[in-house]
Parts: sequence; C-alpha cells; structure tokens
Amino acid sequence: MNLTGLGPLYRKEMAAIFFSPMAYAWIAVFVLLSGYSFCAHLFHGRSASLVPMLFQAALLLILTIPLLTMRQFAEERRNGTLELLLSTPVGDLAVVLGKFFANLSLVALLLLLMLALPGALATVADPDWGPVISGYIGLLMLAAALIAVGLAMSAATSNQLVAAVLSLGLFLLLWMAEVLGVLLPAPLDGFAIALSLDTRFAPFAAGAVYLSDFGFFLTLTMVGIALCVAALTRR
Amino acid sequence: MTEIPVAVADGLSKRFGRRLAVEDFSFALAPGEVFGLLGPNGSGKSTILRMLVGYLRPSAGSATIAGFDVVADGRAARTHIGYVPEEAPLYGAMRVAEFLRAMASLKGLGPDYASAEVDRVCRTLDIDDVRGSIIGQLSRGYRQRVAIAQALLGAPPLLVLDEPTNGLDPRQIIEFRELILALAGRHAILVTSHILGEVEKVADRAAIVLNGRLLAIENVRTDAGQKCDLESRFLQLTAEPA
Repeated sequence: MNLTGLGPLYRKEMAAIFFSPMAYAWIAVFVLLSGYSFCAHLFHGRSASLVPMLFQAALLLILTIPLLTMRQFAEERRNGTLELLLSTPVGDLAVVLGKFFANLSLVALLLLLMLALPGALATVADPDWGPVISGYIGLLMLAAALIAVGLAMSAATSNQLVAAVLSLGLFLLLWMAEVLGVLLPAPLDGFAIALSLDTRFAPFAAGAVYLSDFGFFLTLTMVGIALCVAALTRR
Repeated sequence: MTEIPVAVADGLSKRFGRRLAVEDFSFALAPGEVFGLLGPNGSGKSTILRMLVGYLRPSAGSATIAGFDVVADGRAARTHIGYVPEEAPLYGAMRVAEFLRAMASLKGLGPDYASAEVDRVCRTLDIDDVRGSIIGQLSRGYRQRVAIAQALLGAPPLLVLDEPTNGLDPRQIIEFRELILALAGRHAILVTSHILGEVEKVADRAAIVLNGRLLAIENVRTDAGQKCDLESRFLQLTAEPA
C-alpha cells in the first residue's frame, strides 16, 4: 500500500477546497436549511426532537455531495493537472485518500457547525444526547460513503456533469432501495432493503448504533475508494 | 567508460482499444543529452512521454529511468523525473510559491531542502517577482516558467518537456531555447515538438516519429559540432509513396 505523499496531498486538497467559494456556499446553504428545518419542527410542530433535522441533513448530503465530488478528478483530468500529479512519486491510493479525507474534513466542519442546533435546544430543554451523538456519527458515516462513491464516479469520467448525475442517481437509488425491496420477491427484497441508505441511517438517527450499519457504511466507503483507485490506474 | 543511460525504452507500445498509438519504440538517453522527439501532431510523441513518466502503462515493452523500471518500480523512477506536460497544466487558484512548495512536498523533498529548492528554481527561472502571484493570473510565458520550475525541483537527472514552446511568443521561444541550452549538461532533456526548427536548435539527437512508429534517430549535432540537415531527412522519411 503506497501512501507516499498523503500528507502534502491532503494539505493541497484542503487549500483547494477552502480557496473555492463552493465550500463556503455549500456550508452556508446547508446550515441555513438545517436551521430552518430545526426551527420549523421546534416552533410549528412543537417537537423538541432532532430526528427530522437529521433525516433532512442526510437527504441534503445525498443531494449535494455530488456537487462537491464531481470536479475532484474530472476537472483535474480535463485541466491536465492529474497528469502532473501522477508523474510525481505519489501513489494512486494516496491521491484518492488525499481528496477523500479533505472532503470528509469539510463535512466534519459542517457537522461541527450544526452542533449549534442541539446546543440551542439545550438552552431551553434537556435533549437526550445519545441520539444526537449517534445521529451525527451516522451523518459522518453516510457522508464518508457518499464521498467515496462520488469520487469513484468523478475518476471514471472527465465530464463533471456526468460524474454528478451518475453519483446523484446512484445515491437516490440506494436511498430508495427500501421501496424497491417492497416490490421485489424474496430473497431479493431483503437484499434491496439491506442496501438501503435510509434503512441503514434510521437507527443512527434513533440513537441505536448497530455494528452491521456501521460495517455497511464502512464497506461502502472502502468499495468506493477501491473503485476510485481502479478507475485511476486504468490508464 | 560507457555512461549509464538516464532513460531507456525497449520496444514500448501503447494500444488504446483497437488503435495502436505507439509501436515498438526504443531509445536510450545519455546523461546531459538533449533528445528531441519530432513528429506531426497525433504521431504518438506525448504518449511515449506519458509512458516514460509513468502516467500511462505500456501495452508492451519496457522502460527504465535511472535504472528503475517505470512500471515495476514506478515510484523510484518518478523521483528521477521532472515533467512538464503539454499546455503546462498548473493549479490556477494557487500562488506560485505555494504551488512550488506543494510540488516539492509531493516529490518527497524535506521542508528545509524544499524551501532552498523553491528559492533556487525561482532564481533559475527568473520568477522571484511573481512568487506571491496567483498562477491563473500570470501570462502564458510566466506560467510556462512556473511549470518548468516545478520540474526542476529536486534537480532530477531527467527533464521531460512536452511541446514546451506551444503558445509562446517569438521572444519567449528564444528565451526558452536559451534556457534549455543552459540546463543541458546538468540534466538530460527529452523534449517533443512538431516544429522541426525548434528541435534542430536545441537537440543533440532527434527521433523522428510518425503514426506511432520510430522512423529514425538522427544526430542533430555531430562530434565536430556540425549540424545535420534534419529537414531533408524528415521530408525523406515522412514522404508519402507516389
């Protein structure tokens, strides 16, 4: 496993992410929508639960992570900088992990900012911190899987839009796989439900962390990274 | 004593699907030598370079850089190469110094050595005054110099330059030619061009490539310092049968 250059690559990617207005716009819109959802449920629904906000955040991750990942390799390939990067003594895996961890760091920063919501709730009520913590862990696990798969799509094509559309389509399919499961005969129904991001995320939002759900997101992340490296080395 | 070649290609071939882009390309590059790859656009010059720098995997044949196989020992081979791809792609959003420091880190140079190397290449390429500038806002000529500066980091024994004079104005081309001649001797230089005159002016030897095939390797300069008539030779080799 050649991880040479991972540190410098991570720093380069972090600089690229935070130089771009995209990251700031993404964080701003995300926090605004999550805050709106939180306030709507709190004041209109008179419910002090964070579960609806967590589900909405999960859906927002599914809808917006393709916008973050689509350019990662597609743009580098189109600009020719991928050729420059891969002619240095860094490993393909290090290139992929550099981008993966940089994007995951952006999501982690976002989740850190979103901790203001349960923090605000704590000033007027006594929230159950277990589901809050597990919900945030679930969002991070979900984001890791989505970023890895999104990067693989970006590495597979030089067209950013194609990468975004493929990622979004796959994410929505996986999110709705539970519905598909209802229509399928056994044993395919169980298989479809087991692949559903919605089904896997729900226990996290409810405060239950199962090893199987944790393993599912971890496996999806590793498969995404492996596919991304494979797409990169196929040249 | 025979000099150990910096770069050796032995029967390199590259196939993209059913299309054979490069077929059975072989050559050896001596330390300090300037070697030109001459051929029309689409003749396979860039593909040959991409295989040598490890970006493309050869379909057949092998190549070594400083004795390291570009596939089996790619990382070690790449530490001995400074590469400027065609169109000199750079990270336009980064500042020059920041980019050079990042590239030095990626090449595995330690912090102190990297810093000294960034200073050195900025002096060599005369880009000290634009160190704080954003790359995307630089002129084509300056971007080309920054691209060469990153290739020089760590003083690799082999510089690989793909169509380095593309898009430069006549003055920049002359300056670039002088730079190549100044760097020759310290580095072996492999340079591609579709402009015959450019290769003739800087190269010691030149390979003529057409449709992915090596037609000939010519001595551009003889031991007596005389120049061969590369133009006639090129026309003769690439002439279509009547």
